[in-house]
Amino acid sequence: MTWHSFFNLSTLEHRHLLAAYATVLIVQGGYFLWVLRGWLRSKNPRD
Amino acid sequence: MSRPSILRTIGWLWFLASLVVLAIGFREAIFLVPTDAAQGDAGRIFYYHVPSSMLSLIFPYINFLASLAYLYWRRRDPLKALTSDALALTAAEVTVVYATICLVTGSIWGRATWGIWWTWDPRLTSMLLLWLLYVSYLMLRRFSSAGQSQTLAAVLSVFAAVDVPIVYMSIRWWRTQHPAPVFGGGPDSGLDPSMMPAFVWNIIAWGMWGIFILGFRFALERRRQLAEQDAALSAIEASLETAQ
Repeated sequence: MTWHSFFNLSTLEHRHLLAAYATVLIVQGGYFLWVLRGWLRSKNPRD
Repeated sequence: MSRPSILRTIGWLWFLASLVVLAIGFREAIFLVPTDAAQGDAGRIFYYHVPSSMLSLIFPYINFLASLAYLYWRRRDPLKALTSDALALTAAEVTVVYATICLVTGSIWGRATWGIWWTWDPRLTSMLLLWLLYVSYLMLRRFSSAGQSQTLAAVLSVFAAVDVPIVYMSIRWWRTQHPAPVFGGGPDSGLDPSMMPAFVWNIIAWGMWGIFILGFRFALERRRQLAEQDAALSAIEASLETAQ
């Protein structure tokens, strides 16, 4: 498989493969960014 | 070097190592593993679906043990109880993240392979129940107005943990739509050797990422708890000054 076929949306199986990997990236990345946002907005009470 | 600086350095190194291993896992799963003869390229969903599913059955036990520790310490040592509670909350959130990925990627794979998005198969149903239990755990903590929400959530987590072995055993007890167990499922189970590197790299990668995100979220929750403690102490000091 190549990058070209990974982003090939012409067949159902490739669309589903890309959708599954995108889901993982969005869910894990979204949670990480949410935690990071909380971290950056909070201040260390011991500082 | 102070303890917070050491922990921060370890956190950064772990984060960077996780990204490197995730990149290796992605490369193995997409570019190096041969295409599955029966499923085609949709079979590559397996390398993200199965590690997430396996990890979504491990994090609930961290939540379970931390909840038991909270229930044990809450009257004996409130500071230890607070730390346990932070870990329980964090593990519940990470469980929901991994279980969400398991359900969504499984559904996408099912549509490509079976032709259906969902079926009330015992494995799928028990996994959905697990997801609902941990979402309800988080909602209880978020919206409960009673002062006992941490204790109630800890009790709920003990019941939620009962579903984990049911999810694990469901494809052994009932053989329906979901594929048979890949590991520990009898003489016919197991992975083709050509699939092993991609699977192993991805289980390590998502395990490392899970530990990182668990540690990061735990640190944030501890920071929030400490800020609340300081605010409460300041309020008490202010009220004492007013009384004098």
